Amino acid sequence: MDQEFAQLAVSQALRAGAEYAEARVQGDRGHTYTLKNGSPEPVTIARSLGIGVRVIVDGAMGFASTNSLDKSQLARVTEAAVRTAKASRNLLVSPIRLSEEKTWDDNWEAGMNVDVEGISAEKKFELLFTIEKSLAQENVHVSLPSRILVFDEELTEKVYANSNGTKLHGFVPRLSLLYYITAEQPGKGIVQRIHHLAQSCGWEVVDDWRPSEIAAEDARSLGTLLREGVAPPKEEVDVVLGPEVTGIICHESCGHPQEADRILGREAAQAGESYIKPNMLGHRVGSERVTIIDDPTLPKSYGYYKYDDEGVKAGPRTLIKEGVIAGFLHNRETAAELGTTSNGASRSSAYDREPIIRMGNTYMKPGDYLFEELVEGVKHGVYLKNFMEWNIDDRRYNQRYVGLEAYMIEDGRVTVPVRNPILEITTPGLYGSVDAVGKHLEFSGATCGKGDPMQGAPVWTGGPAIRLRGIHLGG
Amino acid sequence: MTKILKTAKKSGIQSAAAGYRRTLRRMVRFSNNSITVTNTWLSETPTVYLVSSKRRAACIVEEQDLSRLTEAVEELARTMKLTPEGDTDFALPKGPFKYQPVEGTYDKRVENAETELIDAVQLGIDAARKEGAVRSSGVVTSRVLERYVLTSEGAEGSDKSTEIAMTIRAFTNDDASGQGIALATSLDQFNAQQAGRTAGRISKLALNPQPGEPGRYKVVFGPSIFANLLGRVGDSVSAYAVDLGFSFFQGMLNQQVASETFTLSDNARLPRSPGSTSLDDEGVPTRENLLINKGRLEGFLHSSYTAAKEKASLTGSASFEASIGGMTPDAHNILVNPGESSFDDLIDLAQDGLYVTNNWYTRFQNYRTGDFSTIIRDAAFRIINGRLAHPVKGLRLSDNMIRILRSVKTLGSERNWIKWWEVNTPTLTPYALVDGVGMTTANK
Repeated sequence: MDQEFAQLAVSQALRAGAEYAEARVQGDRGHTYTLKNGSPEPVTIARSLGIGVRVIVDGAMGFASTNSLDKSQLARVTEAAVRTAKASRNLLVSPIRLSEEKTWDDNWEAGMNVDVEGISAEKKFELLFTIEKSLAQENVHVSLPSRILVFDEELTEKVYANSNGTKLHGFVPRLSLLYYITAEQPGKGIVQRIHHLAQSCGWEVVDDWRPSEIAAEDARSLGTLLREGVAPPKEEVDVVLGPEVTGIICHESCGHPQEADRILGREAAQAGESYIKPNMLGHRVGSERVTIIDDPTLPKSYGYYKYDDEGVKAGPRTLIKEGVIAGFLHNRETAAELGTTSNGASRSSAYDREPIIRMGNTYMKPGDYLFEELVEGVKHGVYLKNFMEWNIDDRRYNQRYVGLEAYMIEDGRVTVPVRNPILEITTPGLYGSVDAVGKHLEFSGATCGKGDPMQGAPVWTGGPAIRLRGIHLGG
Repeated sequence: MTKILKTAKKSGIQSAAAGYRRTLRRMVRFSNNSITVTNTWLSETPTVYLVSSKRRAACIVEEQDLSRLTEAVEELARTMKLTPEGDTDFALPKGPFKYQPVEGTYDKRVENAETELIDAVQLGIDAARKEGAVRSSGVVTSRVLERYVLTSEGAEGSDKSTEIAMTIRAFTNDDASGQGIALATSLDQFNAQQAGRTAGRISKLALNPQPGEPGRYKVVFGPSIFANLLGRVGDSVSAYAVDLGFSFFQGMLNQQVASETFTLSDNARLPRSPGSTSLDDEGVPTRENLLINKGRLEGFLHSSYTAAKEKASLTGSASFEASIGGMTPDAHNILVNPGESSFDDLIDLAQDGLYVTNNWYTRFQNYRTGDFSTIIRDAAFRIINGRLAHPVKGLRLSDNMIRILRSVKTLGSERNWIKWWEVNTPTLTPYALVDGVGMTTANK
């Protein structure tokens, strides 16, 4: 991949009248292997290679891309980026500026100990067949009429240059295992579990995931839920949330509302805005137990990157500290507008997508409690280990998580399964109810959707188990 | 493409479909009455779908170097020989076929539309402002798409289409917003002002909302939210969704899945319609598919794989998929037959209920049973004594898809084209009155 080609795009854009220019040559190559109810589905290969050029001209921003790495085509798209930006300047309320940032010249990668592309397709199907075998009815004691197992690998290489002088080359391999299992019990109904294991590393991670064991555990719990599940309590209870639920909460109602582009209204017509305003740094939204961090630099994490797609070095950023809003996720545009510097949150999913503000790996900072201690402190309550349906309004205030594997807690002990407990609550209501945080941190893989056109960003969501006091569950 | 098919044949593949897409897309995004970015995308994308001895494979190679495509086909051919057989023996449909172009799907002027998109932003913002909106955000997009399909079974065809679309969301304050949509295949049909006026008018009516109360309501659905739900119906009438266990219509063929007032079809042959096309990605001519007739589920959409597996007829719905499935059946244009009621009639018929204009974030508890929830977005209103009483906020629709379809009472006479960030498939839908819709709210 050619750094000079990116540099050429930057030079062409500056010559065409841009006051700022950046170019990113990005190649993605992916393979997907799928097993459907024990039968192989199509192996698919998806490859792309192209260049995206972003410019600022008279305070207006333009982006253009092509998958042709031909110099004449490059000139055409660079010129298009500059021309369309210029044409839009009369409809600018105020000029777009970028924050001043340190420049970098670096070559970085998330390494693979075992090259996933060197592993045969047979071996990858063998992984899926082993999981399939673990889901046999005699092993999991429930009928699973639908079992979809998907192994996906995606290798991304980027060359980046901007007119401030930053030059970068990066490489990230991402592996994921996603399964959808449907359990059915006559007279008891149907339940579905979707589970996503994902990291940035090589094939060596697959054994660490213990996929057959985890899938079989999931299936057995679905069977128990169908056979023994009771209705959730209607009265006020205490609730313990497992790490998977804590993770999605941190992503949805902390990470998203603290993206500065939402706060400033740039995503209003699609992903929405935020209940948080620019002047709410220091505003309390939760109990002192709640500290939430986004850190793209966690080694081997699914959301890993060292530099963002504006050439800014990434690092951990504290979003909520002890219940108080401590910071926003920024790119260079929002940082300039709010008088600060970027914290490296600008990501792009492909060569033909403009970089926008995204999370990396968002999680709640662990506390001091063992899981058993969280439960011991509950007289009458519910434990939501994982979830199925969830959603949140477009200001990130009113959210809902429907528990899948869930249990009653009575006198400090986890007891019978509970069907469909629904946590439907506001963001301050949720974070304000946290009275204890577990010490064991876990992460789940996820693909976060945002942007127009849509950009799926690989992320981790994480946290320990947490305890909420005084909750009314629906369902 | 001929060379690629030869490579496939030489590699021992029995049946193959090669596709080629050339796309020029432009987009102008705006927020707070100001343009935030202009986008221009040029891409040329070949795709290949391979079928051999109960095995399938697919690749998309969005790279200039065509040797990469050849390498990918050769790799897939080798992989197919090494992997176990799939569950169905079939070949791609035998051609050649005759394709009838669909009228009014291409407008040459869209190829060069740049300032027209920026003008549309201005027209939309101004129209919303005139209606009382303080600020507007949105997107104007144009697309020129050239498609070519060639199969080893003698099918060969191409078509060219254009689309121009606008979504505008107007705000009178943070709690009061409305959305307008314009969607067309030609510049003449495209009406940005109308979209801006709709968004502005709704945002003005939405001022000072009161907290919504949970319960079951008679609900008048506006076209945007109804199209979002119909999109899920479109997903579920795909025979591949049924095959995967992700359809709430599984096991319901020839049964009453909706009320008798409800008729839904997928029609890629409709003139001047954004999803219309003369052929699918397996080279099969498109047709109109009646899917739900007076509430009865008449059939599913098929690709050659699902049609062979279910011993069903082809529906001209095959769509190349770079991920799971390789080539899966998808809807082109979802159409709901109109009723006879005006909007005012529907509000009057509801008497005591809700009018909801839009939604977002639809998620299923269970794709098989159809239990789901979605967030009511933009303006929603309480209906009391057959009139819009006051705006409401903070509601979540929590219900079941089959129950909703079976509870459709009355449909409006006016239909609107909907396609936006939350509705992928172009959908032509009326307003709908649905009985007993579950609404929930946050309780802390």
